[in-house]
Amino acid sequence: MALLEARGLSMAFGGLQALRGVDIAIEARQVVGLLGPNGSGKTTLFNILSGLLRPTTGEARFDGARLTTLPPWEISRLGIGRTFQIARPFAHSTVWDNVLVGVTFRARRGPRAALERRREVERLLATVGLLDKARATAGELSLGERKRLELAMALSTRPTLLLLDELASGLSPRGREEVMGFYGQLRGEGLTIFAIEHSARVLSRVADRLLVLDQGTVVADGRPEQVLASTRLVEAYLGEDDEP
Amino acid sequence: MSPTTLAHAIVAGVLLGCFYALMALGFSMIRSVTRALNLTHGDLIILGGYLGYWLWIGSGLHPLFLVPVAAAALLPLALGWQWLFQRLREPKELSSLVLTFGLSLFLQNGMLALWPGEYRLIASEALTASVSLGGLTLNRGRLLVAGLALAAVGSLHVALGHSRWGRAVRATSVDREAAALLGINVDQATQSTFLLAFALSGGVGVLFATLHYLSPSGGAELTLLAIVLTIWSGAGHARSVLGAGILLGVVETLTLLWSGPRWRELIVALMLLGTLLARAGGLVPRRSR
Amino acid sequence: MPRGGLIATGLVGLALILLPPLSGFHPYYLYLVSTGLLFGTLATSWNILAYAGQVSFGHAAFVGLGGYGAALASLHGLSPWAAIALGGGLGAAGAVIIGLASGRLQGASLALATLAYAEMWRAIAQNWDEVTGGGAGLIGIPALPTLPWPSPDVSGGRAGGYYLSLALLASVLAVFAGILRSRLGLALAAIREEEERAGLLGVHPLPWKLLAFGLSGFWSALAGGLYVHTVRVVEPDLVFSLHFSILPLVMATFGGVGTLLGPAGAALGLYLASELFLHPYVPAFHQLPYALALIVVALYAPGGLGTLFRRRRHGAA
Ligand SMILES: Nc1ncnc2c1ncn2[C@@H]1O[C@H](COP(=O)(O)OP(=O)(O)OP(=O)(O)O)[C@@H](O)[C@H]1O
Ligand SMILES: [Mg+2]
Repeated sequence: MALLEARGLSMAFGGLQALRGVDIAIEARQVVGLLGPNGSGKTTLFNILSGLLRPTTGEARFDGARLTTLPPWEISRLGIGRTFQIARPFAHSTVWDNVLVGVTFRARRGPRAALERRREVERLLATVGLLDKARATAGELSLGERKRLELAMALSTRPTLLLLDELASGLSPRGREEVMGFYGQLRGEGLTIFAIEHSARVLSRVADRLLVLDQGTVVADGRPEQVLASTRLVEAYLGEDDEP
Repeated sequence: MSPTTLAHAIVAGVLLGCFYALMALGFSMIRSVTRALNLTHGDLIILGGYLGYWLWIGSGLHPLFLVPVAAAALLPLALGWQWLFQRLREPKELSSLVLTFGLSLFLQNGMLALWPGEYRLIASEALTASVSLGGLTLNRGRLLVAGLALAAVGSLHVALGHSRWGRAVRATSVDREAAALLGINVDQATQSTFLLAFALSGGVGVLFATLHYLSPSGGAELTLLAIVLTIWSGAGHARSVLGAGILLGVVETLTLLWSGPRWRELIVALMLLGTLLARAGGLVPRRSR
Repeated sequence: MPRGGLIATGLVGLALILLPPLSGFHPYYLYLVSTGLLFGTLATSWNILAYAGQVSFGHAAFVGLGGYGAALASLHGLSPWAAIALGGGLGAAGAVIIGLASGRLQGASLALATLAYAEMWRAIAQNWDEVTGGGAGLIGIPALPTLPWPSPDVSGGRAGGYYLSLALLASVLAVFAGILRSRLGLALAAIREEEERAGLLGVHPLPWKLLAFGLSGFWSALAGGLYVHTVRVVEPDLVFSLHFSILPLVMATFGGVGTLLGPAGAALGLYLASELFLHPYVPAFHQLPYALALIVVALYAPGGLGTLFRRRRHGAA
């Protein structure tokens, strides 16, 4: 059975149909990319999977548990972590505390020992290269640093499935290379990754599989080269790949 | 409970509701134009009442003549309040509560200092007589107040709906920035709203003082009622404030008929609590992402 | 805390401890400072809740529940100590009940709900004549046992009440300091900053908020219980007075929401300034400092209340 399985997910905001009957199955340890034009419903899908939104119809299961009735903290404890497209750290807390929250509360009986938690925060901050900023206030970070903090926060709950929302967009070419490095590293650690990116180029380098969403419907699903070879698709949906 | 008692209670509730609507209008107008919640609303009404009382004792005039005087007396305060409200920082609603919580303390203490001691009432004989109407005996003052309330709500409804001024005020309520971009003088619309709201509160105060005893801390309950009405009606529409007011008046009289008058304040507080909980997010919409 | 702050705090603490003998056990000054200390306790417990991002306009509810609970228990023969503790429990329970509303309401809506809640309890105390004595309240509440030192008649028994108030303030400060270094503090800060994000990181917000409500209500109610045992009467307009809702808000926001000592410092400063310098000369306007402090906070605190809620936690795991 797939690790993550969604059936017939639909989401309506008033009259606006953001998702229309989306079916998805993601196997453990797969890296799956999600592409689609602006407003096609990508983030909405992540909001449902992480428990911030309740779908109008349909359901999603993770590791056998039904997600669509659970609150965010339960979902997080099941092992799903996520980042936000626009970084949303606790802006007035230190970088350290931002990561400490997930480490402390990821399980009902999380690591008790302060030393254990400290080690883990250090390790996470080192992973994303923010150890020297540990005492800075999150709001003072640069855009690139904030994105890395997002990643560390998502990892702080020790997820098995990571939902990454446009980790690379808005970054400099160097920042983007760094993000590519993270993708490789996380895959190496055996995580299952479901990642939205605006750049098909970025995704095709790291993903085993690509999904394309358009107006709330999955319009393509397959190996990256297959999906990208369909020129019609590339023109219609990915033509706005403005990043070099 | 006899049918006459019930009919009596309903009619009294409707009359009371008209007064409530008039009383709440100022709160609702300021709320819709500035997003601010003015906790001094009830205190201003009480202040208008004290001014009316003081003038009435001094002059012996018919209370109705004192309504415009008390209304005018609050106009300088309107400018002061507007000046303060303009300077509120985000989160605006919360800041406005903090600011007006403080101003309320100030007003209440001021009134306590100026009019210490017993409770006061404008006990004008012109208003206390009863009138018989279709088998029901009603208080003349209450009828008069309800009539005035209807007239005021009606004219405000027309003015908001059909005048240049009304258009400017409505546009400012919907979206201040967009209205300003369209060339509407939002500052003027805001100022006139404050002036009108305060004048209304001052005048209402005099009417209130003909019906109820004044006490410096009596404004809190009026403020709570105004908040309930504003939530019920959705800010800014004179007509729906009237509808909500009448509903509240009838609900209140019927509840009191059943529970006895001593639980009045409790019912007002519960009504606000219940309204907030039922309309969770209605007063301050939750951010959605 | 920087060293200068530590030294200053130590000196103020020492001065407060030595005040009774230094003032020659002057009953009026002891009463005044005790009341200031009670306001300090109240402002600090208000601050516990504000640290979680929950702005209360109704702390009078908890003071009043503590006051009435303690008074009734005392009048029914319980020892004042047990009565005050019982009142504290009642206040905590009352706070948790309105805390449940914070699951649905936030910001200004929650503030209004707390305001209505305090009003509700005041109306109950005012009219439930059989139990609360109605508007006239309850009299004949026993006094607290006096300290035998130096002798009851020197201070009119005020020294004991004074030290109790001081101990109460110290205890709530200790609790808040503990919160700041604990998991609770971490959870509350996260909830205050971004409740939704906190949820995604495994924090179930409501239980933590309820805990904050409970602690805040408990200490406010203890202050209420101590207060009624000092003045020895309880009336609806005395303990459910709007002042007990407004003043902690003024003092805490003025002193710095989220700081450990700011609210207590501001409470003592504002209260004593008002009582010593304004009350004797312009009694009608002795509350002016509070109103002015609120206006300053609402208008000139850089960024408004929002920034006042910011406090950096420094990473101690
Ligand atoms: N909470 C919400 N309330 C109302 N409408 C929403 C909400 N969230 C999303 N939408 C709408 O749903 C549609 C899909 O939005 P979504 O954010 O999922 O798109 P997206 O694919 O992530 O786009 P982008 O590439 O710009 O991030 C959009 O039209 C958006 O305006
Ligand atoms: Mg998106």
